[in-house]
Amino acid sequence: MDALVDRLDRIRGTVAPRNHNARTIAALTSNPGCGRRGLMDAAGVNKGAVAGHLGFPAGFGQSRFAIARGNAFEAQVKADGAAELLQLLRERLGLAIPEVAYDDLSNVGGNASREVRYARTKSLLARAAGERDDAGTLFDHPMLRLDIAGYYAYLEPDLIAFRVGGRFHVVEIKSFAVIDGQADAGKAAAAARQSAVYVMAMRELLGELGHPPETVSHDVVLVCPENFANRPTATLVDVRKQLSVLQRQLSRLTRLDEIIDALPSGLSFDLAYDTDHLPTRPADELRKAVSTIDARYSPDCLGTCEMAFFCRDESAGSTAAMGRTVRDDLGGVESIGTVLGLARGTLTPGAGQEEIAGLLRFAHRLRTECLEGTA
Amino acid sequence: MPFVSESNSAAIEALERRIDRLRGELRRAATAGDRTHARALRAELRRAEHAWDDALADLEDRSTPVPAPDRKAPPMLSIREQVHHALTLLGVPAAPKLIIAVHDAFFPGELVAARLTSLRRDEERSFKVAPFGRPYYLCPALTADLLSPARGLLAISTWPLEVRVVGPLSARVDFLTGAIRIAQRVAQLPPDAHDARRLLWRFAASIPGATGEVDPGTVADQAQAELDVHLDADAADRAAAAGRARDRLDGAEALFGARLHKLRSRTAN
Repeated sequence: MDALVDRLDRIRGTVAPRNHNARTIAALTSNPGCGRRGLMDAAGVNKGAVAGHLGFPAGFGQSRFAIARGNAFEAQVKADGAAELLQLLRERLGLAIPEVAYDDLSNVGGNASREVRYARTKSLLARAAGERDDAGTLFDHPMLRLDIAGYYAYLEPDLIAFRVGGRFHVVEIKSFAVIDGQADAGKAAAAARQSAVYVMAMRELLGELGHPPETVSHDVVLVCPENFANRPTATLVDVRKQLSVLQRQLSRLTRLDEIIDALPSGLSFDLAYDTDHLPTRPADELRKAVSTIDARYSPDCLGTCEMAFFCRDESAGSTAAMGRTVRDDLGGVESIGTVLGLARGTLTPGAGQEEIAGLLRFAHRLRTECLEGTA
Repeated sequence: MPFVSESNSAAIEALERRIDRLRGELRRAATAGDRTHARALRAELRRAEHAWDDALADLEDRSTPVPAPDRKAPPMLSIREQVHHALTLLGVPAAPKLIIAVHDAFFPGELVAARLTSLRRDEERSFKVAPFGRPYYLCPALTADLLSPARGLLAISTWPLEVRVVGPLSARVDFLTGAIRIAQRVAQLPPDAHDARRLLWRFAASIPGATGEVDPGTVADQAQAELDVHLDADAADRAAAAGRARDRLDGAEALFGARLHKLRSRTAN
């Protein structure tokens, strides 16, 4: 394991690894077949900087208006000892009236360092898991951590983990609206993936303390504004599927040995920053280094990966760049040039391409007829 | 006087029409290439514009000054007094947002949120310069476990330590206590005190059995019912913490809280 961490350190270069958060860890689970992304994420490479140096800067990050809106809604729900949240949990989950203890873990005696907060979270949760009656119900901004490829990623559920019926539930507060019982599918899925990361980190923490993983419920409480008002509503979301995807993905991260063994030994994505923090690594050399690992670009990457614009440029002309459905429809044909050649009949189909070639020619004939008909 | 200003404004309007007409003529003369006529027109236009300027200045002089927009009178009380009033009404440590809501509902004048942020620091500085030089200080509530300042909760220094320390249950207990105090105050107000009633309604929304309730008596009863469940445990917590605080904290720390690094350096010595 240490040899692997050493190797990843060399690949990353002289800079500190990028910190993971729930968002980036959740993003690891999209496009799991991409070796480039898997390696760069495991090594904690600053992909945004690498992509920028290669000439494909990605305008990534959350809008600050979205962040401000999210924070305001969270503050409203948690105001006055989480009064609104308590009311919701009592209505929806049958939280008992005496269960109102509220612990603020966002700093410990004015000290907001991650290690101190983690230690405090751990001791409080240990007490709560020990089934003591006075052991607390709501934990505001606890600090958890997860081992990602040899490094601890510190995670701060923007929410509270509380105890009902002897089980912990992760509460995720999001500011997108649930209108008439329906939320934006993409946002709800992203929230579920992030919550799964927290559930996993909580289970790890309680596992260290000798509690079974079931102590943390796989049902996450998602709190969102209801309809067009600012009143919060709570929904239970089952994240078992996201959890298993995440587990598989993280275990893959630690089994990177095989990928790494196949790479040239001197491979590095170091940008060689000088004293003014300007990258000095020649872009061509870096491009060669990045190109040694296979990527699997698909249009979804644009929403989740900083390298997406580079990979899209690299894979221009291949059928995969047009998305999964197109690639599946054109099974076995790699490049767009071949597809067009087969359709126009200028290329002879190779072994196994006869069927798709027939279909393509038929489609081409239909198209020409249509166009001639309109002309 | 109004007659003069009316005739004046009529004169200005005539001048404006004349300026417009002259400009049109000037443009036509310029396009036609009639230079002498254009020059004469330009001079006339300039004279008309000067006359317009003078007439306007005259009009300004004569008009009675419009009273300045009705700005809210500066509050008669200092911000710390305003906060003191709101906290005294609530009787428990409260977050700045709640303090502002209570102030807006029950007291005249405006409490500026931005000025609340520096208030705590100013109070601590003032205490350090002249300890106990003021009858009261606005200080943070103290956490029961570490006796450090609780995040975003203000209290009054003259309150007993049992009120100023907050344990895990205190957030709820203080919320319910505040609800009862507000209900009692609302009961004394006329029925058209809408701001105060709206605040009470907001509290009631989070109290079991009082949701949507606007009758102060019912809200207070329901809050008391829930309060009875938590009160004993919370009082025991707070009393224990207050005892520890009395033993360990002195001077500024007893008011403004102990910091973790201070405790550490002390144990190191």
